[in-house]
Amino acid sequence: MRSKLRLAAIALGLTFAATGAFAQAPEIAKRQADMKAIGGAVGQIAPVIRNERPWDGAAVAQQARTVATSLTDAKAQFPAGSTADNSRALPAIWEKKAEFDGAMDRAIGVATNLAQLASANNEAGFRAAFPQLGQACGACHTPFRRP
Amino acid sequence: MTRTPIFAAFAAFFVFAAGAAFAQDAKRGEYIFAASGCAGCHTDTANKGQLLAGGRALKTPFGNFYGPNITAHPDAGIGKWSDADFITALRQGRRPDGAHYFPVFPYTSFTKMTDADMRDLKAYIFSLPVSAQASKPHDIGFPFNQRFLQFGWKLLYFKAGEFKPDPAKSAEVNRGAYLTQAMGHCAECHTPRNQLGGLRTDMMYAGDLNHAGQGTKVPNITPHPTTGIGSWTPGVYDDLLSMGMTQDGDSVGGDMGEVVANSTSKLTQPDRAAMIAYLRQLPPIDHRVRGGN
Repeated sequence: MRSKLRLAAIALGLTFAATGAFAQAPEIAKRQADMKAIGGAVGQIAPVIRNERPWDGAAVAQQARTVATSLTDAKAQFPAGSTADNSRALPAIWEKKAEFDGAMDRAIGVATNLAQLASANNEAGFRAAFPQLGQACGACHTPFRRP
Repeated sequence: MTRTPIFAAFAAFFVFAAGAAFAQDAKRGEYIFAASGCAGCHTDTANKGQLLAGGRALKTPFGNFYGPNITAHPDAGIGKWSDADFITALRQGRRPDGAHYFPVFPYTSFTKMTDADMRDLKAYIFSLPVSAQASKPHDIGFPFNQRFLQFGWKLLYFKAGEFKPDPAKSAEVNRGAYLTQAMGHCAECHTPRNQLGGLRTDMMYAGDLNHAGQGTKVPNITPHPTTGIGSWTPGVYDDLLSMGMTQDGDSVGGDMGEVVANSTSKLTQPDRAAMIAYLRQLPPIDHRVRGGN
C-alpha cells in the first residue's frame, strides 16, 4: 500500500516536472499578442486609406504608434530556440538573426514615420507612405514566418 | 568611294534600329517577367542566389524539384535557345531536345500566353547577367522520374493553346483572365490537385488543404461569401495584391509574400483592377480551407 502511494507520488512529481520542462517560452505568447495588436491597428488604418472611413489624424496616429511600440516589443521576444507547435516562427529567424533584426528595425522605422505624419495631420504624406508598411510586414513574414 | 560612307551610314542606322527594337521588347518583357513570376522558382532567393541561376528546391509529393538555371548562359542556361525553342517550352511544355517538362514548371498556364509576350519575355531574360551555375538534378523517385510518362500526363491534364478572350465578358475581365491564367498562374497553387497532380477543374481557385503535399493551406479565392473572399471589397483585393495586406490587418508571407513582392505589386493599377474584376466574377465555390476570412 505504502509503496503504491510512493509510486503515485513519484509519478505525480514526474508529471509536474515534465509539464514544467515543456511549458512553452513566455515570449511566444507575448510576441503573438504584439502581432495581434499590430494586425488590429493596421486593420483600423487600412479602411481609412481605402476611403471607407474618414481620415482622423489623431486616431490614425494612435494606431500607428501601437504598431511601432508593439513591433519594438515583439523584436525582443525572439530568444534563441523559442519555438512551439503553435508558433509560426521559422528557424531562419535564428539562423539569420541580423537579417531578421534588420527587417524588424525597418518596419519599426516605417511605423514611427507614419505615426509622425499622422500626428502632423499630413494625410497626403501618410497615404503615400502607407504601402511601405505592407512591404515591411511582408519582407519579414515571407522569409521568417511559416505560411 | 562615296558609296562606302553612305553604306556605312545605312548599316549603322539598321544596327541602331535593331538595337532599339530589341531594347523595346526587353522592356515589355520585364513587365511580363514580373507578371509571370519567373524569378520565384528560378532563383535561390533564400541563399542569395543570382537572379534566374536556379537551385531553389520545390517540394512536391513526387519528390524535390530544383528550379533550373534559365539565364542566357550558352551551356549552363538557355543561351542557345531560339525564339521557337522558348515558345515550344512555354506553349507545349517541351525542351528543345523534345523531352517533356514536369508540370512543376507551369507551362500548363504559360501555354496561354501570346507568341509576342513569349518573345518579349525571352528578350528580357536574355538581357540579364548570365550564370555558369549548373542546374541541380531533380530528386524524384521512380516512376515519376520517367519523363516519357509525362506524355500520358499531358494527354490527361494539358491542353496547349493561346488564351481565347470570352466575347461575353468585358475587355477588363478578359485582360484580368489573361493576367491570372496565362501569366500569374494563380490556379497552380489556389486549385486543389488530384493524386496524379492534375488540377481539379471542378474546384478552380477554391483553395488547397494540402499544398504540394506539404501540409500548407492555400486559401479559397473564389468570391464565396463565407469560405472564399466574397466579403472583400475591391479595395481589400488591391491592398493584398499591391502590398500583401489582408482584410484583418495581417500581411501575407511565405509563397504569397513572394508573389506580392515579385509580381502583383509590380503590376500597373489598371492591370491589378482587371485581375480583381476577373476574380470577383468567378463562380463562388463553397470550400472551407481556413476559418473563413
